[in-house]
Amino acid sequence: MIQNEAERLLQEVLGVAAVVVATSDGFDVASAMKQGDPTRVAAMASSIFAISAVVSQEASLGRSRSVTIDTEEGFAIVHSVYRPNADLVISVIADADAILGQVAYQVSQFARSLASA
Amino acid sequence: MAEYKILFTGTMGAGKTTAIGAVSETPPVVTDVVSTDPSHGKSHTTVGLDFGQLTLPSGDRVRLFGTPGQARFDFLWKILVKNALGLIILVDNSRPAPLTDLKVYLDGFTDELGQLPCVVGVGRLPGHPKPGLDDYLDEMARRNLVLPVLEVDVRQRADVVLLIDTLLAQLEASQYGV
Repeated sequence: MIQNEAERLLQEVLGVAAVVVATSDGFDVASAMKQGDPTRVAAMASSIFAISAVVSQEASLGRSRSVTIDTEEGFAIVHSVYRPNADLVISVIADADAILGQVAYQVSQFARSLASA
Repeated sequence: MAEYKILFTGTMGAGKTTAIGAVSETPPVVTDVVSTDPSHGKSHTTVGLDFGQLTLPSGDRVRLFGTPGQARFDFLWKILVKNALGLIILVDNSRPAPLTDLKVYLDGFTDELGQLPCVVGVGRLPGHPKPGLDDYLDEMARRNLVLPVLEVDVRQRADVVLLIDTLLAQLEASQYGV
């Protein structure tokens, strides 16, 4: 269940403050957040997904897998989930306590499980 | 040789992506994805931005940006309107309440409308004559806005060029204090 996994990431991974799974056109389908509005995160994630797709196409680098937004007090990862019927986008927002590699690994595992679901 | 940035906005299905595609000299940058929203008849929808380029006969270059239409992407409207020299609002007259649709963009861009020229392009009038162009003018007069309202078919390059020319004419007029 997507919702369960979103909640698991929020509870178990150090520093994670929000997890939102959205459709590629910006509607949230599952979320677990300490605070914030999943609707807005979902819309923003879909924009990032679409813009990153254009960048990777322009650069002839294949499809965009993820975008990491590195900020002063944490980071956000927006990860694409390509599926035959409908693509999804996972957003994870993490604070300064989080370890980038660990969060990135967990998000990509989540994406993999959604891609084959 | 001047460079202008013009922003196209308006509801989903009003023709922003189409308009830019109709005039862009280079293949436009398009961020369309499959739409999961059954309330609209469209298979795809813009979720990032559209981008195209056009060179005018005068040699001036115009950069054309398009916003997503839905309100959930309104955070992008502010970002995309930065440094725009003008705004084109496209309205689809076949929708149930086009004047209400127009209001969404007049509200969403209130600050910019105080400073930038704007033109309203109304599409699909032939099959859907109501509201008429006068109704649009009345609606805007209620907000103390006097903007050109043109009937357009944005699939026609000439109509999109007309919108752009009208916008640039307003820009020149304001520069001369007219």
